[in-house]
Amino acid sequence: MAVNFAIATFAGGFIFAFLVAFCWGPLVEKFGPIGGWLAAAFIVGTAWTLNHGVGLIHQSGRAWIDMAYAVGIGLLIGGIYSGANLARALPTAISAIVGGTLGGFILSCFLGK
Amino acid sequence: MGNFRTIVGSAIAGIFVMSVWGAFAAKYGIAGGWFAGFIIIGTAWFFNHCLGVIDNQAGAAPVDQALGIGIAGSMRDVFMAGSISPLIESLPTLLFVGLGGIAGAVCAAMFQQDLAKARSAAAKAQSEATSRSA
Repeated sequence: MAVNFAIATFAGGFIFAFLVAFCWGPLVEKFGPIGGWLAAAFIVGTAWTLNHGVGLIHQSGRAWIDMAYAVGIGLLIGGIYSGANLARALPTAISAIVGGTLGGFILSCFLGK
Repeated sequence: MGNFRTIVGSAIAGIFVMSVWGAFAAKYGIAGGWFAGFIIIGTAWFFNHCLGVIDNQAGAAPVDQALGIGIAGSMRDVFMAGSISPLIESLPTLLFVGLGGIAGAVCAAMFQQDLAKARSAAAKAQSEATSRSA
């Protein structure tokens, strides 16, 4: 991947993970569950526009790399940085990977057929 | 049961994001993609994290539904191609998105700690000023 695309892709991941880690919790604290919907629209919707709508994240191959990876990986490592326990999260993380793979398989059963 | 909950919650979120989102964006462009974030992530966040379908235990590093969603998008294309090579081609993007995400989340945690410190210093200064004036 060319350096310019690498910088843009890094920045896209940084911005999305930063916004989710920094804003989502306080929005839910202030507004309750409605804060989660506000976050979905104004953080995820708006970050999607930047990362995939106008393409800040460059796709180097045919397998789609979603900006979701930034949050999935980032929050896990950010939690460890803040003193959370990785070992206790591992069964859930592995289950999430299994669930995502299952979802991808189910989609492949009808998409493009 | 917690792991089964996590598998089902992640799979449902991944299925919605990696099919419905693109359909909205294809039909209504940027506005459709923005709106898809609102209805899909809002709903999936509600059952996965607000109600707690994904099994995040106290003290454990947070596992977000985004992890399953990201995997679903890549694995969809791997299963559709019937080959791992699309994912190999995409590894550079995955690397930089992951590094950016780690940097962003750690940066947010640092900012939160710094702001909390600034707030407690301001509160302490104020309480000292009040006790002096009293």
